[in-house]
Amino acid sequence: MIAPEPLATPARTEEDVLRYLRQTVSATRLTLFLQCRLKFYFRYVLQLEKPRSVALHVGGSVHAALKAWNKARWRKAPLTTKQLRSEFLSAWENEDHATVCWDGEEAKHRQMSWSLVETYLRETTMPADVPPDAVEVPIEADLSPLGLPKLIGVLDLVQAGTIVDYKTSATTPNPEKAAHLNEIQVSSYAVLYREATGKLETGTEIHTLVKLKTPKLVITPLPPVSGGQKARLFHLMESYLSGIDRQHWIPSPGLQCAVCEYFDECRLWQ
Amino acid sequence: MAIKLEATYSKKLGLPNFSSHCYVVSLSTELTDLSQVEAESRRLYALLQHTVDKELEEVGYIPDLHSPAQNGNGHARPVRTRTVRNGGATRTPASERPQPTHEAEPQHDWACSPKQRALILRIVSENKLDKDDVEAMARQLFGIGVKECDKMQASQIIEDLFEKVGQKPGGRNPWRQRA
Repeated sequence: MIAPEPLATPARTEEDVLRYLRQTVSATRLTLFLQCRLKFYFRYVLQLEKPRSVALHVGGSVHAALKAWNKARWRKAPLTTKQLRSEFLSAWENEDHATVCWDGEEAKHRQMSWSLVETYLRETTMPADVPPDAVEVPIEADLSPLGLPKLIGVLDLVQAGTIVDYKTSATTPNPEKAAHLNEIQVSSYAVLYREATGKLETGTEIHTLVKLKTPKLVITPLPPVSGGQKARLFHLMESYLSGIDRQHWIPSPGLQCAVCEYFDECRLWQ
Repeated sequence: MAIKLEATYSKKLGLPNFSSHCYVVSLSTELTDLSQVEAESRRLYALLQHTVDKELEEVGYIPDLHSPAQNGNGHARPVRTRTVRNGGATRTPASERPQPTHEAEPQHDWACSPKQRALILRIVSENKLDKDDVEAMARQLFGIGVKECDKMQASQIIEDLFEKVGQKPGGRNPWRQRA
């Protein structure tokens, strides 16, 4: 799962924050750094608080429901639909709920999100009787011998050696571009999995729940990460590290800015 | 009175595929007069630099970029060292050279990392949990004992233990990625 890291943190100096950012990196943070350094600066260094987006809240609630479902089947105590809905609603009403700007459409989003969960259970190809290897597990890889920061991440599901990542999306993903568009995340997860288990992953599957009128599940299988992909990831991490050291917080104006929560702050940059 | 002058020259160079190699030469000599220090230091620096540079030309083994089993978890090249005393050189035997840091972790009989082991034991101790319950948890989830769990499995057990004792895992570290 790709999600921003928490914004609310204990008071720390900018130097403390930069030190931490040099020491560890996640796929989320690396991706944002490469997209726009100024946005990275606003989110992770200055930690400017912004309302939680509806899309993020939907994604978080769906993830929580699927986590509960996977853990229950792992313990051989599968959840009833009623129990699963209760888990979903509990996640929906979490502490971030009040910070979302609903524009009077919360009920609609909640219903659509629950439909995504139901769609997943109906259309998933993961055999329910095969126990997971891990469910939403945080792992890390010490890459300091390579002069790189510690890599951290949370794997949504690992089953039969396959790393599964859940996504919710407004558009149907293009399977031909999936390997490239998700490369940082997929490569990071492969490095983490290999470091934590000493094994090579069977592959990665991206399970995308598409938010259509009639939701659908699109499964994109990807082969094990190659040596070349791993080298690319490490090069990107090197670039991240040197970028943090230089503190070169520049904007990257483009179409993506239309939905950026730091648009106003960015316009003031000179 | 004899004056002892010790000089060390170290250089680390990057290699392809995120490898690197490092070579250190140390030398100790004696001077009779403080006035010799500056000139002798300059001479030793040039000598050691030349020696190190010459040795580093031999890059030795480099991991294969395309092999997933190689360099996958960041094993570094061992550090080469040579000690020179009063002109007499001895190469440190391979068996005595420092090993990659990942393999230099303290030995214990758990398959996970020492940090994970310590955390599991701490949660058990602070919350007065029954070790047999934790063992049963590992067997139920993975079919093996807790000591045999790899790092990913241990991390899962830690998450489950935190849930069991009513602590939100995400609350342990405010910087942690939101699940």
